[in-house]
Amino acid sequence: MLSKITVTPAPHISSKLSTQTIMLDVIIALTPAIGAAVIFFHDRALVLIGSCVLACLWTERICNWIRKQPSTIGDLSAVVTGIILALSLPPAMPWWAAVMGGAFAIAIVKVLFGGLGGNIFNPAMAARAFLTACFGVLMTTWTAPATIDAAMPQMGPMQTEAITQATPLAWAKMAVKKETSTETLKAQLSKTFWGNEGGCLGETSALALLVGGAYLLWRKTITWHIPLTVLAAAAAFSAVFYFIDPSRYANPLFHILSGGMLLGALFIATDPVTAPLTSKGMLVFGAGVGALIMLIRIIGEYPEGVMYAVLVMNALAPLIDRAFKMVPAGGIPNVK
Amino acid sequence: MAGTGSFLGGVHPPEGKQYSEHQAIEVVPTPKQVMVLLSQHLGKPCEPKVAKKDKVTAGQMIGSVEAFVSAPVHSPVNGTVKDITLAPHPVIGRTMAIAIDTDPADNTPKRPAAERFGRDFRPEQYTAQQICEAIAQGGLVGMGGAGFPTRVKVEPNPAMPKDTLVINGCECEPFITCDYRVMLEWTWQVMAGIRLAARASGCSKVLIGIEVNKPDAIRVFEQAAAELKDAFKMQVVPLRTKYPQGGERQLITSILGKQVATGGIPPAIGICVLNVATCAAIAEAVVLNQPLTHRVVTVTGRAIARPGNYYVPVGMSVADLIEHCGGLTETAAKVIFGGPMMGPAIADLSQPITKTSGAVTLLTAEDVTRAKFEKRQTACIRCGRCLAACPEHLNPTRIAHAIKYGRLDVAENYYMAACIECGCCSYVCPANIELTGYIKTGKLQKARAAKKLG
Ligand code: SF4
Ligand code: SF4
Repeated sequence: MLSKITVTPAPHISSKLSTQTIMLDVIIALTPAIGAAVIFFHDRALVLIGSCVLACLWTERICNWIRKQPSTIGDLSAVVTGIILALSLPPAMPWWAAVMGGAFAIAIVKVLFGGLGGNIFNPAMAARAFLTACFGVLMTTWTAPATIDAAMPQMGPMQTEAITQATPLAWAKMAVKKETSTETLKAQLSKTFWGNEGGCLGETSALALLVGGAYLLWRKTITWHIPLTVLAAAAAFSAVFYFIDPSRYANPLFHILSGGMLLGALFIATDPVTAPLTSKGMLVFGAGVGALIMLIRIIGEYPEGVMYAVLVMNALAPLIDRAFKMVPAGGIPNVK
Repeated sequence: MAGTGSFLGGVHPPEGKQYSEHQAIEVVPTPKQVMVLLSQHLGKPCEPKVAKKDKVTAGQMIGSVEAFVSAPVHSPVNGTVKDITLAPHPVIGRTMAIAIDTDPADNTPKRPAAERFGRDFRPEQYTAQQICEAIAQGGLVGMGGAGFPTRVKVEPNPAMPKDTLVINGCECEPFITCDYRVMLEWTWQVMAGIRLAARASGCSKVLIGIEVNKPDAIRVFEQAAAELKDAFKMQVVPLRTKYPQGGERQLITSILGKQVATGGIPPAIGICVLNVATCAAIAEAVVLNQPLTHRVVTVTGRAIARPGNYYVPVGMSVADLIEHCGGLTETAAKVIFGGPMMGPAIADLSQPITKTSGAVTLLTAEDVTRAKFEKRQTACIRCGRCLAACPEHLNPTRIAHAIKYGRLDVAENYYMAACIECGCCSYVCPANIELTGYIKTGKLQKARAAKKLG
């Protein structure tokens, strides 16, 4: 009987959480957004999500073989990376480019930096940056959802299948210049919320993203710190510009609901591996992401800034952690 | 400033008290042999005061040492000293112990003394000095945890005057119910001990902290406190059920809203904390002149035939105790000396019960699998859960990983020394990293390095 007795360090019980259940929660939370992408982009969405996820899983498995490790795909983190990468790609992206992105995300950004937990940059965002660098044109060719009725003004002539269309953000930049009526702006805003919007796969429906984010918060998979500060900082930043000149700048609500803002705030900036550990650090990190997104959107060249904002703050996360050390409950001891 | 009944951080493990909470305290028959460890307290180990083949009687002092932080040990039985030898110790590995063969002709087990105490007990009959002396002679140590000698805690210290006596009736550790049974069954003995301790320490205020998951205990103590008209204020404070509510530092925060400084001790802010079982022992030592030789031990878990709360001689082996409780079930996989959050797992069942051991928890293969092996370990995903759970507000992952990679200096920079080894971080970690295990190792390495230097 004694031979069966095991000895391990205390504690001898543990919570039900595991890395796998956390990743599974994120996947569950992403399903509304995946659903929205499939509804609006049909098979394009399925092809892209499928190729990204498979590319990520296979790359991770192959890296395991090369490094003679046991398989790590069971932790599901590669699936999450794949889905998020796919959701941040434009629908017209060819599948092989998506596969390249997935392979880059895992092999270069994650495994080379030490695998799960070791990477500095969010793999999906770094891969997206890589794709932007390689295929600049593909990455900025936006397709309107197949169901769109081409009601948006100032868009080029209708094409047969995919309508090449500016994203609402680029459109907003353009539209305000052409002094579009407020009604059109309002219509645009409601579309952004419900979906049916030009842009990347996962950016089309704010509602789907909010539902997923609410689920993550309810499950305590993420805390409020990062999403709230990202959105608050972005809103504050855009509000300043909006009040200075409402005719030139879009209103804050529009900025928050459109583009990759919600996907970024709820699913990308909250990636625990690449965000700070401490809650104070998270607040600073989130505020930095939000402010950078707006800086890039309003002042920078690109209409969309989530990717660069996240990558820049990822690089700063270790510094932020060092700056906001945990203070012990009993205060900092006088003598060390 | 008053406390909020809770503290920041902590976890909510399943309570697991159902196995033993309704089992009344049961006296176990005297075992054939006891093994009394010479180091059952924090501080200098005792030296044996008896020799091989000496006859000893129950309650006789058999080991002591001249040191301020120490507590003598006594024989729990009548018998003959068989040997003075090394015996297993749950924390420090091995330590010297006195093995005593009990006298088969004279081995009626000692019974609890609770019926000798009532509401009419008058602590005024004893002077503070008498009380302190009896506590010291009785070899009393904190029975809830580290085993700090009680005399050192209670005795007035002009450098650190105490005004508040906090009684720890939380028993936040899952599965354990010995303190709960003591509170219910020995209420007036505990009360007597509390009043004696308050008198000896000079505290004018007494606060009894009990978690709200023990409403019976709260009710019983509230009634008892209402019946007494002592000079000091006695108050029962219900506390939120949360682990580690009974951690000394957490308890003080919850009850008083005060914070013991990192590296500091409660008397520095005028507080003395005593566990309920220790209070019961104080009453016995002062009034009946009986040293601490027996204690209530919860034997519990799904891998034991008869879980319950047992009145056990200190020195009885875990194996004998398990046998008395009907033996292990087929599925037993882990024997824990204490509760599942903090207790070390043991493989050598000759391990004797000590003054500080409140429980033996027996887990089944299923419990163990569910907790540890089924979920594979992954790398730290930096989720921050361990930081949020740490009741001392440390950065467990940073400390543990620094230790893993041999950087004790970094670990110390992140306040490794402030860790109370509660296990909350390991409990919540989704990556299943043995954070507490690493930190304990780091502290040991540090202690060894310090010894080498000094
Ligand atoms: S670091 Fe220490 S005090 Fe903090 S949760 Fe872990 S074991 Fe408990
Ligand atoms: S709980 Fe575990 S995975 Fe999360 S930060 Fe702490 S060590 Fe890392």
